[in-house]
Amino acid sequence: MMDYLVEGLLKALELIFCLDNEIYGIVERSVRFALTATLFASLLGVPIGFLIASKSFRGKPAVITLLNTLMALPTVVVGLLGYAFFSRMAPLGFLELIFTPSAVILGEFFLSLPVITNLTVSAVQAVDARVYVTAQSLGAGRWMVAGTVLMEARFALLAAIIAGFGRAVSEVGSAMMLGGNIRYYTRTMTTAIALEVSKGEFGFGLALGFFLLLVAFSINILFHYFQVKGR
Amino acid sequence: MGESDKPYQIELRDIVHRYEGRTVLTVEHLPIEKGKIYALVGPNGAGKTTLLHIMSLILRPDRGKIFFEGERIGQDESKRIRARRSMTVVLQNPYLFNSTVRANIEYGLKVRKVEKRERERLVGEALEQVGLSDLAKRRARQLSGGEAQLVALARGLVLKPSILFLDEIMANLDIKHVSQLEHVIKDINHDKTNTIVMTTHILHQAYGLADKVYSLFEGRIVPSGMYNLFRGEFRHDGRELLFDTGRIRIHVAQEIGGMDKGYISINPEDIIVSKKRLHSSARNTFPGKITKIIEQDGSVHLEVHAEETFRVQITKLSFHEMGLTIGIQVFLVFKASSVHVL
Repeated sequence: MMDYLVEGLLKALELIFCLDNEIYGIVERSVRFALTATLFASLLGVPIGFLIASKSFRGKPAVITLLNTLMALPTVVVGLLGYAFFSRMAPLGFLELIFTPSAVILGEFFLSLPVITNLTVSAVQAVDARVYVTAQSLGAGRWMVAGTVLMEARFALLAAIIAGFGRAVSEVGSAMMLGGNIRYYTRTMTTAIALEVSKGEFGFGLALGFFLLLVAFSINILFHYFQVKGR
Repeated sequence: MGESDKPYQIELRDIVHRYEGRTVLTVEHLPIEKGKIYALVGPNGAGKTTLLHIMSLILRPDRGKIFFEGERIGQDESKRIRARRSMTVVLQNPYLFNSTVRANIEYGLKVRKVEKRERERLVGEALEQVGLSDLAKRRARQLSGGEAQLVALARGLVLKPSILFLDEIMANLDIKHVSQLEHVIKDINHDKTNTIVMTTHILHQAYGLADKVYSLFEGRIVPSGMYNLFRGEFRHDGRELLFDTGRIRIHVAQEIGGMDKGYISINPEDIIVSKKRLHSSARNTFPGKITKIIEQDGSVHLEVHAEETFRVQITKLSFHEMGLTIGIQVFLVFKASSVHVL
């Protein structure tokens, strides 16, 4: 048993330090997919979060509860829904998205969107109410006031975006179902780990696990840094 | 339509504002003339800040008309923003953006798309005006309360507003910063081109700085200099009319019609203060203790606690001759005809 672990560890170190092309390709692809998904989720989630936080409307508590629920949305459910809409025979099958990088990104987008939106709501709600009056009294119009509020919440917003990225990069369910884990094309760190370990390639899985852990660790450090700075 | 009869700089007509179903402000007419300093005085909760926010177009009243330089400011957002850009508001507890002092002062100039070199020059001037030139690069959050208030003032001044609204900006400041701010306010208005509207609950400050003082009490403008303002109920006791504040009963001479509740005021100059009980024709005599002594404009103002807090104005000579000090017992005497029903 110990031999199996040591062997796996040695193999992992070899792959990491010999700059194995496939390993680094997978890491680069995973990060690229997650960054793209996070970018689009931020472009949509931050304005929506701002509107929810700054406007009063009927059903606001229900919307916030829904967002909270969606934050814990099982990744495999997103994969399942995506498959239901984008597989060849599905209503949106003609888009030919299934088993493409776009499908993986789309799944990650839907997973990180509620995280970014919800944390944006919290970030904007935490901004001092005097910011609105101050900006208005200095002549700012509606857009400028909104921009100022977001600027004041910038550290918390960055933390929200980082959390969204964390959700996207670490998910496995939807990437597997929508991307199909195709080598050199849609294979990401998480799907590769699932596959390689099931094939008995423990070392390969361990090497990727190390990178995933590194990414998660960096995200957490950044998240913490911006949260502290925002206080 | 949409025009004021006389082009005051700001004019409010028939303003009513409610908060949580309660009417918090009722102003029939309030004209503000260009180049003057106005003070809105009154106790906490009198509606000073609400009125200031309505005048400065931050808050929309529930009812009424606001004119800016003769033109009605209605629902048109662009007209509102245009008018708002010629005024600035400095709040009691100002919010400084989480950046440097310079960036804070620059904010309004950026909104107005002033180019960078001009911005730098104007920011430098404003900092100099408030005496904080060496703090330009300091993080705003690292400033003391007094410095933050001065930065907020500089942030307003840099825009060279034609009207400057100051909301209790000297509350909670140390004496050094208060006198610095008073000096800056006088300096801003020295050529009478800027209008300043300030709220304060410190009366001697209001009278010391302002050309015109408006007193607010429970959301209404009451005759200026309203120190001894009381709310209560009118009661008839035989042929006499009494005003019951809940703590004391004051004899009133004025006819009140069918009114059963209301407000009265007594001019501080109409109250006689004596160390011994006087036997006189005056109907009202109340024993009390001196709690505050303020020297102002050649006279002395005494604050006397006689169940209710009264303000009494006497000459310096009387004050010295009587040897009045804080804590001693005195009697306040005034005629029933000195009580004004509002």
